[in-house]
Amino acid sequence: MKEQFTPKIVGFLCNWCSYAGADLAGAAKLKIMPSLTVIRVMCSSRIDPNLVLTTLLLGADGILIAGCHPGDCHYEKGNYYARRRFALLKKVIKTLKIDPERLQLSWVSASEGKRYAEVVNQFTEKIKKLGPNPIQTKPYL
Amino acid sequence: MNNSDILVIGAGVAGIEASLLLADTGKKVYLVEKASLTGGNVIKYEDVFSNMECSTCMIAPKQQEVLQSENIELLTLSTVEKVQGEIGDFTVTINKKARYVSLIDCIGCGMCYEPCPVSLKNEFEQNLSEKKAIYVPCPGSLPNVPAIDPEHCLQLNGKKTCNACVEACAFGAINLSDKDEKIEIKVGAIIVASGFDIIDPAGFPQYGYGKYPNVYTAMEAERLYASNGPTEGEITLRKGDAPPKSIAIIQCVGREQQGYCSSVCCMYSLKLAHYLKHKLPDAKIYNFHSDWCMPGKYYQKFHQDVKEEGVDFIYSPVAKIKVEGNDKSLSIEYYNGKNEKEKLSADMVILSLAMMQGKDTASLSKLLGIEQDTKGFFMNQAIQLGSVDTSKPGIFLAGCAEGPKDIQGSITQAEAAVGKVMSYLS
Amino acid sequence: MSDKIGVYVCECGPNIADKVDIKKILAEISALNEPPEKIIIAKKHKLLCSKEGQDFLADEITKNELTHLVIAACSPRDHDITFMNVCKKTDLNPYLYKLVNIREHCAWIIPDKDEATEKAIQYIRAGISRVTYQAPLTEKELDSIPDVLVIGAGIAGIEASLSLAGENRKVYLVEKTSSIGGKVTRFEKILPHQGTNLDIIQEKIQAVQENENIKVFTETEVEKAIGFFGNFEIILKNIHNEEQKNDFKVGAVVVATGFDLTDPEKIPRYGYGKIEDIYTSMEIEESNSKTGKILLKSGKPPKSAALIHCVGREEKGYCSRVCCNYMFKIAQYLKEKIPAIKITEFYQDLCLPNKADQEFFIDTKNKGVDFIRFKDIAVRQKDKEKFIEYTKMDGKKEKISAEMIILAPAIEPAEGSKDIAELLNISLDETGFFQEAHQKLNPVATSIDGVYIIGSAQNPKDISDSIIDAQAVGGKILTQLIPGVKLVPEVTVSEISDAFCTGCQTCLSVCSYGAIYFDEDRNISIVNEAICRGCGNCVASCPSGAAHAKHFTSAQIYQEVLEAIR
Ligand SMILES: Cc1cc2nc3c(=O)[nH]c(=O)nc-3n(C[C@H](O)[C@H](O)[C@H](O)COP(=O)(O)OP(=O)(O)OC[C@H]3O[C@@H](n4cnc5c(N)ncnc54)[C@H](O)[C@@H]3O)c2cc1C
Ligand SMILES: Cc1cc2nc3c(=O)[nH]c(=O)nc-3n(C[C@H](O)[C@H](O)[C@H](O)COP(=O)(O)OP(=O)(O)OC[C@H]3O[C@@H](n4cnc5c(N)ncnc54)[C@H](O)[C@@H]3O)c2cc1C
Ligand code: SF4
Ligand code: SF4
Ligand code: SF4
Ligand code: SF4
Ligand code: SF4
Ligand code: FES
Repeated sequence: MKEQFTPKIVGFLCNWCSYAGADLAGAAKLKIMPSLTVIRVMCSSRIDPNLVLTTLLLGADGILIAGCHPGDCHYEKGNYYARRRFALLKKVIKTLKIDPERLQLSWVSASEGKRYAEVVNQFTEKIKKLGPNPIQTKPYL
Repeated sequence: MNNSDILVIGAGVAGIEASLLLADTGKKVYLVEKASLTGGNVIKYEDVFSNMECSTCMIAPKQQEVLQSENIELLTLSTVEKVQGEIGDFTVTINKKARYVSLIDCIGCGMCYEPCPVSLKNEFEQNLSEKKAIYVPCPGSLPNVPAIDPEHCLQLNGKKTCNACVEACAFGAINLSDKDEKIEIKVGAIIVASGFDIIDPAGFPQYGYGKYPNVYTAMEAERLYASNGPTEGEITLRKGDAPPKSIAIIQCVGREQQGYCSSVCCMYSLKLAHYLKHKLPDAKIYNFHSDWCMPGKYYQKFHQDVKEEGVDFIYSPVAKIKVEGNDKSLSIEYYNGKNEKEKLSADMVILSLAMMQGKDTASLSKLLGIEQDTKGFFMNQAIQLGSVDTSKPGIFLAGCAEGPKDIQGSITQAEAAVGKVMSYLS
Repeated sequence: MSDKIGVYVCECGPNIADKVDIKKILAEISALNEPPEKIIIAKKHKLLCSKEGQDFLADEITKNELTHLVIAACSPRDHDITFMNVCKKTDLNPYLYKLVNIREHCAWIIPDKDEATEKAIQYIRAGISRVTYQAPLTEKELDSIPDVLVIGAGIAGIEASLSLAGENRKVYLVEKTSSIGGKVTRFEKILPHQGTNLDIIQEKIQAVQENENIKVFTETEVEKAIGFFGNFEIILKNIHNEEQKNDFKVGAVVVATGFDLTDPEKIPRYGYGKIEDIYTSMEIEESNSKTGKILLKSGKPPKSAALIHCVGREEKGYCSRVCCNYMFKIAQYLKEKIPAIKITEFYQDLCLPNKADQEFFIDTKNKGVDFIRFKDIAVRQKDKEKFIEYTKMDGKKEKISAEMIILAPAIEPAEGSKDIAELLNISLDETGFFQEAHQKLNPVATSIDGVYIIGSAQNPKDISDSIIDAQAVGGKILTQLIPGVKLVPEVTVSEISDAFCTGCQTCLSVCSYGAIYFDEDRNISIVNEAICRGCGNCVASCPSGAAHAKHFTSAQIYQEVLEAIR
């Protein structure tokens, strides 16, 4: 199998900081690997554990959750909740025999275009190394 | 005749806040801004003390709201030229400089910069980087539409024929025959939110600014740290290949001359120290300070936190500090708490300079018919227990135009000015 | 009924057109056509955000009787509102449209044209899938009451009442003591930048009393306040007579409960309460304004006085902002009354943030007041003589004696702040003062819409800043709660389905805005749409899947996920 593995990565970006950071990366024409698909949500705290688990079970190779830096959440404390859920999810994922590294939480601010590009590119590289998600479930929605 | 439209001068945080509140009520707001972009000084900072929230994340949504509001007419590159009349019925003439790029047609793609043959110092970036004759001051500028500097554009200053940007623009957004305009408006009230400027470091040769390349102003340091700044957030030196290993921040520069404390320098100096510790954890950071002025309830805690990060605080009268050295290294001579002379060396020196009245304060005060105080800022009516009132009914102050203050204070004053306008006009 | 989805790809001049193969995109998207259930119309346009582009879209929507609209162009941060407004001009509900960002997220960041094209197609497919799961939403309008409750009749509460009261707006001003005016009425002079005597304060107090739109309740407290912005139900009770109650409705509540001084007896090193002739600043102000004199217990004027700043600063963890200035004022009182007095002020830092402060300090110093910056300080008594023992900044220990000692105890939130916070569902921060909605951008508001905090209840403040706060709340309320104008709450809020809710109340605990309440009778939680901001935190917290975020439902997000991992 010489064929290059192109991972499928889902990126949940909060509207106020991270999505704006992604926009800035775009405006700066930074080169970003195309494996990640952005899904905009209002706040990182919207990402429920179900959504993450289902997305992994559906076969996503990686999930990036990006929100405002701690203290900067547009809704006061949303990202703290996101962080707690993330910590828990990491453990749950392990029990599913999925490498917890497939889930990443990053803080990206609205002025951090460059950081956004780095986060996505590094995460993509990481997932490439990890290879395809072992779970081969069919979409059941 | 009672006109309920309002003029706001200056689109910094104070002017923006006032405009948005007023626009909410359906009143028409003319927001006149001298620069080509909104946001004032705050958009130059990566983070704001003491919550260290990202500055752009904080105010970009407000800047967007200004652009999207149907009730706000934003006039960039504009200044007020004449004001006549009185409360309820002012007639104002605005001098709107040509931008040469249409705010409506331009989509902000940035294709026009590269072909421009002219390079200029970028003052917004504190001259730490260059821009073209057609430029936006920094990535993320709002409105995200360039402007042309007519003095340096080859076509406009007549030095050569050039049409490069026009050709590069796929949207026909550039119009080199754009003309300055005079606009006359009628308003019922005026809010002056023209902000502050920083005192010129050239007045303090003892600290070596201009003489030694690695002496910086705090504003320059802010831009060096900013991820959308000239170095994309890398702390580099004007002279030298490696990042600085030791940095000295000197507070209160210009305080004595000005006769007041600028009230935010202590806090932003702590912020700078915190930045530097974050980016250069191994660097030695010294902070030369006099009394700490930390009037907010969260501020002393921030001081404590920064102290614990390992910043070296040195209590030393600023008047007795001297900076000497050369291109490569600097030496700071100072008097310590025991009043003994000491010296230490540093790769970089940052001067926390006094805030002073905005450059246009004198001319504005003349044409508005309001007074300046002995310090140079617009005069408030302290005797009446008011800080947003001026000597003239219908003209109000907001933000650093009235005196040095932090963002919270600027916002509160803007809201207070709106409160005054609303009680007069409704 | 079949879905008729219009998909419009914007060229954005060369920005998108040069970077992706729009022809290929249109061909692939058109191939998704599955008549009669799903009809897809796919077209491109040069510049959709232009006036001409908007007209084109409006025309397309009407002409084709579109049920859904997908636009593939730039970031929603740039033009979501533009295109929603286009929808509003037609019959299409703006929540049945989706903007797909193929510029910032494809064209500009993926250099390879084929890759960028594939990515754009993927995003557009996701948009098409999602949009058919979107539901039409409409703005609601709520009646509101313009009247305002102000709690605390210090200078902040008084100024707020004066700013707010008017022909169409009543103000209820509630004060727990028997008179209005707060602390400032206890001073002889107010300094430095506010003139000298209290006439101006008295004028304001009188203006409140004469204003027929302000109803003052003294010796009264708030017993109950429930509701939301535009509509709070209030019950007041008389402190001395529990039976005497008042109830009414208001649209907003302003908290102006002020401050207290920390009790210096709790910090034994200052000797307060044990050693004679040690006073707090407030005691000096009070006796001075009553008698016009500052005397020792013996009835004699002091020959020397030590003024100690920053009492309790370390314990509290913040600087009280006003003490430096009022201690200069007290020094000046003393110098005026007892010209020969020797005065020494002990301070840690001089906090002089107002542009007029430094001048006042220099003026005080020039009147012959000594200033000493200390590291440590304690008061001791030895044979009737009082000594201030202190360590200077250079580490040297010294002491001086003084006949009178005046302490500046830290400003702390007024007693009862905690109860007020609970009553109104707002928070106190780590310093015990009321917490603002946003430290920088929204300092007079709280996390509960329609509840505001002003004056020294929010942060230690001088009179002038307390007044500014009061005028600021005027600016907020006068622009946001206009008589006769309805309030339009956020549209994309969350809702809880009563069929699924188990009443566990997890969601209540995560909401920062108190937008969810629990219905005891039905044992379910309910979102108050007037308060909810639509963050979706409750949705993620609900173990039963009962909470939904409108316009960001799980079903809608899954549609995007499915396309992302196809
Ligand atoms: C180095 C530094 C760091 C700081 N960091 C912080 C921080 O971290 N946190 C914090 O709370 N505060 C900080 N401050 C203070 C903060 O910058 C001010 O509180 C804030 O900028 C005040 O906003 P403003 O709108 O009053 O004025 P400005 O930000 O100065 O805006 C004024 C606007 O008016 C325009 N203008 C000027 N003259 C005219 C004219 N004649 N006609 C039309 N327009 C005109 C200007 O172009 C500008 O856009 C810092 C200050 C400095 C110097
Ligand atoms: C010794 C001293 C001297 C000072 N001198 C000066 C000076 O010269 N110049 C200057 O600018 N500032 C001065 N200050 C600061 C000044 O006192 C404050 O800025 C000002 O009093 C703040 O006003 P306020 O309305 O916020 O609070 P307050 O004056 O404390 O008023 C709050 C009011 O709310 C009432 N209240 C509290 N809780 C409740 C409740 N639960 N229900 C109903 N009512 C309630 C209180 O009874 C009080 O009437 C001085 C402070 C001190 C301590
Ligand atoms: S016309 Fe002027 S702004 Fe445009 S490219 Fe030429 S020099 Fe630059
Ligand atoms: S002027 Fe033209 S080329 Fe320049 S940013 Fe605007 S649209 Fe792009
Ligand atoms: S709608 Fe967006 S993508 Fe289209 S031309 Fe306007 S800015 Fe460009
Ligand atoms: S978390 Fe879910 S189940 Fe529990 S009360 Fe809230 S909506 Fe009901
Ligand atoms: S969406 Fe956010 S604001 Fe609305 S009820 Fe849920 S947690 Fe509260
Ligand atoms: S809004 Fe960005 S994390 Fe909450």
